[in-house]
Amino acid sequence: MVRLFLPPLSHSHGMVDDRTLEAWFCREILPLEPALTRFVRRNWRRDVDVADLRQEIYERVLKGAQAVLPLQPKPYLFTTARNHLINSAKRAQVISFDHVADLENAAFAVDEITPDRHLSAREELRRFHQGLDGLPPRCREVVQLRKVEGLSCREVAERLGVGIDTVEQQTVRGMRALADFMLGGLGKVRRPATAAARTPARRP
Amino acid sequence: MNAIINPSAPIEEAAALWLSRSEEPGWSVADQAALEAWLEESMAHKAAFWRLRHAWTRADRLSALRASPVPAQRPRFNWRPSAIAASFALALAAGGLTARTLIADAPRTFTTEVGGRQFVPLADGSRLELNTATHLRTQVAKDSRRVWLDEGEAYFEIAHDAAHPFTIMAGPRRITVLGTRFTVRREGEAVTVAVIEGRVKVEEVGSGKPAPAQIITRGDIVVANGPATLLTATSVDRVAAATSWRDGMLTFDQQTLGEVAAEFNRYNRKQLHIEGPAAQIRIGGRFQAEDVEAFALLLRQAYGLRVTDDGEKMNIAG
Repeated sequence: MVRLFLPPLSHSHGMVDDRTLEAWFCREILPLEPALTRFVRRNWRRDVDVADLRQEIYERVLKGAQAVLPLQPKPYLFTTARNHLINSAKRAQVISFDHVADLENAAFAVDEITPDRHLSAREELRRFHQGLDGLPPRCREVVQLRKVEGLSCREVAERLGVGIDTVEQQTVRGMRALADFMLGGLGKVRRPATAAARTPARRP
Repeated sequence: MNAIINPSAPIEEAAALWLSRSEEPGWSVADQAALEAWLEESMAHKAAFWRLRHAWTRADRLSALRASPVPAQRPRFNWRPSAIAASFALALAAGGLTARTLIADAPRTFTTEVGGRQFVPLADGSRLELNTATHLRTQVAKDSRRVWLDEGEAYFEIAHDAAHPFTIMAGPRRITVLGTRFTVRREGEAVTVAVIEGRVKVEEVGSGKPAPAQIITRGDIVVANGPATLLTATSVDRVAAATSWRDGMLTFDQQTLGEVAAEFNRYNRKQLHIEGPAAQIRIGGRFQAEDVEAFALLLRQAYGLRVTDDGEKMNIAG
């Protein structure tokens, strides 16, 4: 098949446009999140860094895939993860060089990393409800009203008699915890980092 | 140590807030542009946003399914002692408000020519955009909002109003709006619904027997023809392709030249005729819907196809 494209193309930067990149990321990379999280946890000594490292790995994975989508997503993801851990360990001098050597010498066989089995819709639904149950009560109520009853933030605020900011904060919390949980993590609510971080630079 | 590893939480919180706000009614083109600018700032922003959106819309689908028993209602969290009275008063006020604000609109009819496009704002704040060769009627009454799609295709951006459901009658299918943005295309009995954002319910009507309704979400395309209904797997790309006419573009992926020509012919008086085996050539790409000459020129250059133009139609032969 020959692909014809009439200039100008959309405003994409790389060869892979954002829609394709996002679809690939959701289809190929995100299902590997439990395995990736285990891999980082096993090879990094500070548990508190795991979510941050994972985010940096995703960033690198996407930057690399922007030129051309990797044909083998799994080896590509774990090679990127390993290199990123080595670089981070080298830069963080508190971590001993032994650790870097461990990582470099690690029998790094991607095939040994077992992907998680696909969840059926039923299992996934159960997981969603478990995740929901694990949320703090205020947060759970907001997420339930928004997701199950389909109310907007404004409607939830009216229903509960609280400010829209409160509803937004709880939505943000619930969204993050549910994403962690549904993608295979523990779904613990992570507290906001700073007050400033709660608002995007430009308010929509 | 913390200077070495970038904290993910601030980015993730910002991404979650953008995502939450983008689902609210009244999200405008300017808001969308601001979100896109934020995403363009860094690949880390995209990673966080796409990941959250994936999980969050997945949750949407699951709550729409409700396949397994939902856990029993738990006691409601007590927000604040005074909150109950306040919410009661607000609910009353809001109820009164929506009942009054829906302005009734006389039934109206809209028609576009071949190659035409038209924007139609409705009294309730919803916006419609009609594609080529489309015939459509609207009625915003006191208690309902309705559109009949008699022929053609339209894009819908529906103002959220739970008290006044928005219904689209497209021949044998009724589409009830639960969410926000989508397109409906009708060719006789065949109805195609593509959802860009939010949730939509599609039902068969007039068959005499109750058929299960389908709730479809972002990235889904439903193709219904007679009693048959096909739900294609989540595919944001294909929805984008199916709705690119709004930018005056047609997007194809591995479609035969015969199919591509039929699509061009929806938009142009000058019709393309593909002769012989050339109709089976598969092509992909993005083209201006109204520039059939440019398309034909490309076919000649890329495939060496013979193009003859008699002013009324263009013949293309292999």
